[in-house]
Amino acid sequence: MNRIETSFENLKKDIAAFYKPQAHHFITMNGVDLGNDVIEYQWFFCDYAFPSDITMFVTRANVDVQVPSIKNIIVSAWLPEAELVDLLGVNIEDTQKGFVLELDSETAPLRKK
Amino acid sequence: MSTQYNIPVGAQHISLLEPLHFKFTTENEKIIKTEANVGYVHRGIEQACCSKFKFRQVSFVVGRVCGLCSISHTTCYSQVAEKLLKLDIPKRAKYLRMLVIELDRIHSHLLCLSHVAENSGFEALFMKTMRHREFSMELLEAVCGNRIQYDFSIIGGVARDLRTDVAQSILDKFKIFRPQLDELVDIYKTNWSLSLKNKGIGVLSKEDAIRLNVVGPFARASGLGVDVRNETEELLPWKEVGFEIITDTAGDVHARNMVRLKEIYVSMKIIENIINGLPEGDLISDTKAFPEGEAVNRIEAPRGELFYYAKGNKTQVLERLKIKAPTFSNIPAMVETFTNNEYASVPAIIGSYDPCLSCTSR
Repeated sequence: MNRIETSFENLKKDIAAFYKPQAHHFITMNGVDLGNDVIEYQWFFCDYAFPSDITMFVTRANVDVQVPSIKNIIVSAWLPEAELVDLLGVNIEDTQKGFVLELDSETAPLRKK
Repeated sequence: MSTQYNIPVGAQHISLLEPLHFKFTTENEKIIKTEANVGYVHRGIEQACCSKFKFRQVSFVVGRVCGLCSISHTTCYSQVAEKLLKLDIPKRAKYLRMLVIELDRIHSHLLCLSHVAENSGFEALFMKTMRHREFSMELLEAVCGNRIQYDFSIIGGVARDLRTDVAQSILDKFKIFRPQLDELVDIYKTNWSLSLKNKGIGVLSKEDAIRLNVVGPFARASGLGVDVRNETEELLPWKEVGFEIITDTAGDVHARNMVRLKEIYVSMKIIENIINGLPEGDLISDTKAFPEGEAVNRIEAPRGELFYYAKGNKTQVLERLKIKAPTFSNIPAMVETFTNNEYASVPAIIGSYDPCLSCTSR
């Protein structure tokens, strides 16, 4: 797995430079609670020509910091972004709560208690 | 300007077997906009796997994510855990995993095809397809001991061996099933009334399949040749047992039917090759190590790419487990594909998506 460190400032630029729709498959976006309110964000891709090569863009930030959305680059990214907003209770640009969990259900179940 | 109507379908609906809600905006019976809601069955499985269960128990938990592709989840998790444990498994176990995955694909594809027939108003074909599917359930029970929740793949290998009489029974039942499948193909391919509901309906172009990152038979029916079995030989040697990728170009409901039917032939060929060339050896490798680091794994479930991410910290309990189910990847395309179709075509289109919301919501 190729691990590429990025930052919120460079995320859209880095992914736009990397992602070629004809060449790359966007697998999903993930988040890992590292504790102390720090979340590691991950975006996974594979190459259609070399599918065993999985590329992961990674960055870490405090849970309060708004995460840039990559919906403008990858249309289908709206779904994993909406899921992370509900399950990790993070704030992602232009993404509403309530897609995976009902608004009155437990919030951010995947965060460390 | 015509009046627009909003029509809700689901979460409980006669043409939907899954708790999925669509809200269609229609004008002159034509769909102009679709909204989807998938969050009705979130069970907190990822959280449970990282808090309530030890990593060796998790393969039994993820087997409960889905009743249709249980073996894909347990195998995908077992493989990602084996990566964390740096554990190689015996070749016989790899072959047996592939055998059950392909048997599972046969029953899952036949289930989907039967629902497309039912949703297209062809109830007799629904019953015929379901009747022919029964043999695959019986074989799964004979191989795994259970019709649905197999618990066959475990970390390090598989839980049961394939008995000689069961292997022979698979080959014998394939001889009976093959002409039945030929007949089904003929009906799905040529039946005039079915073609009215399936041909040219719910079309997804190859360009849209690429743009929306579609996976599985949904993508392959649009000409996008993505199949994890074609891509990775690292953990399961698919090409060694005769895998070949099936694609179509029309991208409609009919093309999805045809891809699934042809994939059943491929699955049968793979199973026959596995039985005829099953290596001798152990069923399981063991280690006393604890999972450490992070790893990802992909497997081709009946609905497409299943993806697992796991992170371990040298304890009995995983730090994070992420499951990305194939239907989850296909929802953006599902929402777009309804547009410009007649509202009356909705049931057949939904059936052809073969959605699995239990996997998606977890």
